[in-house]
Amino acid sequence: MHRPFSYKLNIFLFLLPALILFIGILIAPIVMSAYYSLTEWNGLGTPAFIGFKNYVELFTSKSINITRALKNAMLLALLSVCIQLPFSLLLALTLSRHVKGERWYLAIYFMPVLISSVVIGQLWIKIYNPEYGALNMFLRSIGLDSWTRIWLGDKNVAFGACLVPILWQYVGYHMLLMYAGIKGMPADLNEAAMLDGCTPAQVSWYITIPYIRPILRVSVIFAVTGSLKSFDMIYVLTNGGPNHATELPSTLMINLLFLRNRYGMGSTIAVMLIVLCFFFAMLINFMFKEEK
Amino acid sequence: MKKLVAMMLTAIMLLGVASAIAEDVTLNLWTIAVESDSSYQTFIDAIAAFEAAHPGVKINHEPTQNEQYKIKIKAAMSAGTDLPDVFFTWGMGFLGEFVNAGRVLCLDEYYDAYKDELPENMTANASYDYEGGKLYGVPYTMSEVVLFANMEILASVGYDHIPTTIEEMNECCDKLLEAGITPFGVSGKELWCLSEYLEPLMIKSVGTERLIKMYNGEESWNNPDVIAAVAAFQNMVNKNYFDPNAAALGNDEVKTNFIAGKYAFYQNGSWNCGDIDKSENPAKFQAGLFPVLNPDNASLYELIGGPNNTLAVTATTAHKEEAVTAAFELGRAMSDADYKKGANLPCWTPDPEAQVSDLVASVADIAAKAEGMVLFGDNFLSADQANTYLDYIGLAYAGDITPEEFAQGMDDALYNK
Repeated sequence: MHRPFSYKLNIFLFLLPALILFIGILIAPIVMSAYYSLTEWNGLGTPAFIGFKNYVELFTSKSINITRALKNAMLLALLSVCIQLPFSLLLALTLSRHVKGERWYLAIYFMPVLISSVVIGQLWIKIYNPEYGALNMFLRSIGLDSWTRIWLGDKNVAFGACLVPILWQYVGYHMLLMYAGIKGMPADLNEAAMLDGCTPAQVSWYITIPYIRPILRVSVIFAVTGSLKSFDMIYVLTNGGPNHATELPSTLMINLLFLRNRYGMGSTIAVMLIVLCFFFAMLINFMFKEEK
Repeated sequence: MKKLVAMMLTAIMLLGVASAIAEDVTLNLWTIAVESDSSYQTFIDAIAAFEAAHPGVKINHEPTQNEQYKIKIKAAMSAGTDLPDVFFTWGMGFLGEFVNAGRVLCLDEYYDAYKDELPENMTANASYDYEGGKLYGVPYTMSEVVLFANMEILASVGYDHIPTTIEEMNECCDKLLEAGITPFGVSGKELWCLSEYLEPLMIKSVGTERLIKMYNGEESWNNPDVIAAVAAFQNMVNKNYFDPNAAALGNDEVKTNFIAGKYAFYQNGSWNCGDIDKSENPAKFQAGLFPVLNPDNASLYELIGGPNNTLAVTATTAHKEEAVTAAFELGRAMSDADYKKGANLPCWTPDPEAQVSDLVASVADIAAKAEGMVLFGDNFLSADQANTYLDYIGLAYAGDITPEEFAQGMDDALYNK
C-alpha cells in the first residue's frame, strides 16, 4: 500500500538537491530582479516601491533610449540567423564530406570560440585602429583612401564594425553543432539518395538539412537569444559608444546598474531580457514545430 | 585548594584579557592604488610609516582597480556588511550617496586636531550642507584642469607663450593647422576627457558661482552663457582643432601622443604632471589656462577642479579611534608624497622645503591664484546625473545636438524643469 507513496517520495528526495539549486540559482534571482524592477533603488538603503514606473520610463525615456539598444540586438539576431548560421552550415556540409585536413580545419574554425572575447576584442581594436590598423592600411595600400574610417569611433559605421567580430567568433561554434549532427546521420540515407541520382547539393538540401533540423533549431535559438544577451565583445570594443550607437540591452543594463546606480531600472532591463529570451525561444520552437 | 583553583582561574582570565589588549588592531583599508597606479608606492610608504608610528595597529591594504572599485565599494555599502574601516572615495556626489545612507562616520569632532594643517576650504567637497556642513572625509590631494602646452611646437608657429585670449588661441590653432600640426589632443572615447575641455569653457563663460548653482539645480542651464560655451566647444570641433581620430583614442594614447609631440596642447587634470615630467625633455612643456570666454562673467583664474581624493571612515568600524587617526595621518602623508612626486596637488599645507618640478610648481602657482574653483561636473553630480551630463557632452562633441539643445536638454534631464 505504501509503495507508490514511498516511490514518489524517493523521486522527490532525489530531485530535491537539484530543485533547491534550480530555485536558488535561477528562479530566486529572477524573482528578486522582478521585485527590484518595481522599485526605485540606488543600491543603498531601502528600495522604494514605485509599481510599473520603471517600465514606463524604460520605453519612453530619450535618455535611456532602449529602442536603439533593442534595434541593435534585433539586427544582430537577424544577421546571426541570416549570415552566421548559413555560413556555419556551409562549412559543416563542406567539412563533413571527408575534406583533406578535415580535423585541422575544424580546429581552426573552432579556435575563436575558445579564445576569450576580451582577447578577440583587443585584436579587432588593433585591426580597426584608424592609424596603424590592418584594415585602413590595406585600404590605403590599394588606393581606397576614401574608404578608410574611424571604424569604432564613427557612429555611422561602429555597430557594423562590431558585428563582424561578433558574428565571426561564433561561426565555429554553430559549425561544430551542425557538423556533429551531419556526422551522426546514417550513411545509408545519403548513399540511397546518391544511388537515386541526386547531386551532392541535392543530397544536402533534401536529405542532410532536413535531417539535422533539430540541431538547426537549437542553433537558431542560441543565435537569437545569444544576440539579445550579447555583451562582452561590445563592452570591449566600444562599451556602447560612440554616443550609445553600439548600445545593446545588456551594456545599457550595466551602465544603469553600475554607473548610474539605478538598480531598479537595471533590473527592469534584466526582466525585459528574460521575457524576450523566453519569447523568442518559444517562438522559434513553435516555428520549427509547424514545419514538421 | 578551592582558593588556589580560584586564584589560578583568575590569573588565566587576567592573562587572557592582557593578551587581548596587547593584540594588534588590524584596520582594513580599501583604495584604488593598484600596482600600476601612480599612488601605489606612496600608499605603501605611508602605511609603513603609520604602522611604525602606531605600534599595535596594522593596516591591511586592499587595492582594487578604479572601475571595479566603484562597483565593489557600492556593493559593500549597499549590503552594509564586510565593510572596510577606512576607504578611498571621491568627494561630493560619490561620497554623498554613502553619507546619505548613514554608512560614513562624521569626522567633525576629530577635525580640530588637524585644522592647522588641513585648511577648512580644502574640506568643502567632503562636507555636506544637508548634514549641517559636517565633515565626512579627509581630502588628501586636489587637482585642477590645466592646459599643457608643448612650447617647442608653439615656437615653430611663432608663439613664445600660451595664447591668453580666445582670438589669439584661435589664431594660434589656425597657424598650427596650416603647419600640419593638430592643436589639441583629446580622447573622444572617454567622455570625461571631453568635459575637461567643455567645463573650463563653461566656467569662463558663466563664472564660478553660477556654475555651482547650475550643478545644484538652483539656476537654469538654459542661458546664453552656457550656449556660448557649447558653441565655442563645437567651433573647436568644426575647425578640426581636435585630433580627427579622437573618437577612437583612449586618454592614455592621447597623453602619449602629446608627450611624443603630436599635439600642441593637451587639456586635462594636473595629475598628468608626473607623466609629463618623466618625458625625455620635460622643459619644453608648460602648464597654463584656457583663455576667458566672457570677461564680464569670469576671470582667467576661475578653475575646474578642487580637493577630491579622499579617505573616509565607515560608521560601523569596530576601531573608531584608530581608523580616524589612520584616515587623517595617511591623508597627510599621501598629500605630501603625491605632491613631491607630481602626481597631484596637496590638500594639506605642504612642506615649504618640498622639491617639486617646474611644471608642478607652475600648476601649484595656478591653484594658489585661483579666484574660484568648481569640482569636475561628473564628481559634483550624482552618478545618474553625471552620466546624463557626460552623454550630453558627447552628443555636443559629435555635433548631434545644438548648443541650445544641450542647454535645454541639461535642464530637462537633470532637473526635469
